[in-house]
Amino acid sequence: MAAVTHTNEPGANRAPWLTLKYREMLEAWLFISPTFIGFLVFFLGPLVAIFYYSMTEWNLLSQQAAFVGLHNFNDALLVNPDFWHVVRNSVIFAVGLVPFNMALALTLALALSRPFFGVVFFRTVFFAPVVTSAIAWAIVWKFLLQGEGGVINQMLALVGIDGPNWLRDPNWAMAAVIVTRVIKMVGLNMILYIAALQAIPRDYEEAARLEGASRWQIFRMIIWPLLAPTTLIIMVLTTIGSFKVFDHIYQMTGGGPENGTLVLAFYIYQQGFKFFNVGYASALAIIMFVIVMALTLVQVMLRRKEME
Amino acid sequence: MTNLLLKNIEKRFGKTEVIRGVDLVIEHGEFVVFVGPSGCGKSTLLRMISGLEDISGGELYIGNRLMNEIQAAKRGVAMVFQSYALYPHLSVRDNMGFGLKVRKVSEEERIRRVAAAAATLKLEALLDRFPRELSGGQRQRVAIGRAIVGNPAVFLFDEPLSNLDAELRVHMRSEIAALHKRLSTTMIYVTHDQIEAMTLADKIVVLRDGRIEQVGSPRELYENPANQFVAQFIGSPRMNILPAANAAMLAPNSTTPVTAKSVGIRPEHIAIVSSSESALRGKVALCEYTGAVTLMHVQLPNEQTCLVVHDKNEVPPPGSELGLIAEPANLHFFDQKGQAA
Repeated sequence: MAAVTHTNEPGANRAPWLTLKYREMLEAWLFISPTFIGFLVFFLGPLVAIFYYSMTEWNLLSQQAAFVGLHNFNDALLVNPDFWHVVRNSVIFAVGLVPFNMALALTLALALSRPFFGVVFFRTVFFAPVVTSAIAWAIVWKFLLQGEGGVINQMLALVGIDGPNWLRDPNWAMAAVIVTRVIKMVGLNMILYIAALQAIPRDYEEAARLEGASRWQIFRMIIWPLLAPTTLIIMVLTTIGSFKVFDHIYQMTGGGPENGTLVLAFYIYQQGFKFFNVGYASALAIIMFVIVMALTLVQVMLRRKEME
Repeated sequence: MTNLLLKNIEKRFGKTEVIRGVDLVIEHGEFVVFVGPSGCGKSTLLRMISGLEDISGGELYIGNRLMNEIQAAKRGVAMVFQSYALYPHLSVRDNMGFGLKVRKVSEEERIRRVAAAAATLKLEALLDRFPRELSGGQRQRVAIGRAIVGNPAVFLFDEPLSNLDAELRVHMRSEIAALHKRLSTTMIYVTHDQIEAMTLADKIVVLRDGRIEQVGSPRELYENPANQFVAQFIGSPRMNILPAANAAMLAPNSTTPVTAKSVGIRPEHIAIVSSSESALRGKVALCEYTGAVTLMHVQLPNEQTCLVVHDKNEVPPPGSELGLIAEPANLHFFDQKGQAA
């Protein structure tokens, strides 16, 4: 039988080690390289750098850096009383915001997951703040919440209530910041819950209805357990978001009154870019990272236990 | 004893009429199958009986009680869904006991009834498993078990076997038939598969475009179809419809009614003879060997194709000429409107 040779076959002169597998791998790396380089330069690089900075006494103004080991961490955790005050504020912010946000998001999702006339309008109304500029949102609310002449207080005055100066009153500032933040971000969680609700087959609900379950029983015994994976994701994302809140605080209260809304992310900003204590701010950032990571792990484990 | 009575039942979605005046009587303990092509309204009718769908017009009685305004849970019906609708986060035991739990039945009673249903369906070993750990057939049995536990007056099945493979479908079919025999409860079963309908039903309801075309036993529908639609829908392979003039050629002793426009003959009722022995001759266009029989597509002079079930070993090769004959009793005549003549 005559052998058939293909002398003009494409790639006949290619190096033998350049097999199909390696060629495909090279192509793949070529395609992901823009993102990968960006990740290295803008994410991984600063992350590694921040670990180094956290162990230095580096003043941006004098441009002098000295290695101080764990001194900054010691300072934050054991010496500086401000740190624990700020952590306490962050925890209050998260504890107030996360359940409120999730409960409202779920309520809205339950109301808006089924088609009815005008449903798209309502979904848009509740989602629109999510895509609105955080600074613009905060400025608008700052006006609405003014002590004198603020729209909220004018409306309260109509029913005989003398409203406080929401953002200047130490008793109300945190609550006002939480509520306005929830109204801004609830649309995102609402959309996630709507998607999850729409993914639950209607047969489950119909089967339960036929078996005599009330609406509440259907929600509690069927819908809520089936929403558990979405609830976990939402809880983790919202908690992380609440610890990272900066722009909202920056514009609405600047951490005041009496440091009553001074949360961790804003405190880091103050230390790093107002007082130029880069080393200390880096140590705070790492502590925040650890706190958020720990909270996330706890939530994941709790949910997993609950689902078992 | 009448168990279910449907009086001029109608269903409209907006301006679209889906069920157009259905009248039906279902006796206690009957196995009734709703059959028809996709979109004929059979599932909608079942859902109206269950209470999952409102009734736009007419009256529905279950056990002499008007049910139009009665909630689904209070109609005494249980439904097995096409998707099984087993709650994925609950074990088989909890799935089966769900209805009893929400109805606040005591735990002891719940355990007893779940155990009894599990024993009936041989599910004892699976009680602690989750739906994701079960095969299609096992899920189907759990879905049926969940229906049994509630001890309903009427079982409703919405295409319950359509997600199973062919072999399992045959097996589950026989299990459902055995279950009906054992429980003697009224069962209403929706399918588009006429074999399922023929094998399971005491009574078949053939639906088309929201109307009942014919109600009867499988044999009645097979032997005396009320119209051309039923004649062609029931029976596999489907009935050949030829011009009425062919009847005398096919069966010389037959009498063609004056109003007949067409004649129907089932493929299994046609016999093959040599071309000289019959007035109706044709050429073999295609032979499909299926094992037990061969399906022969015979091209007639009028360019129509007639399907013949040939159960002999010797199969005429494609292109050969042959004659077709049939018994007069096996001919079905239809008038201009497709009604039995």
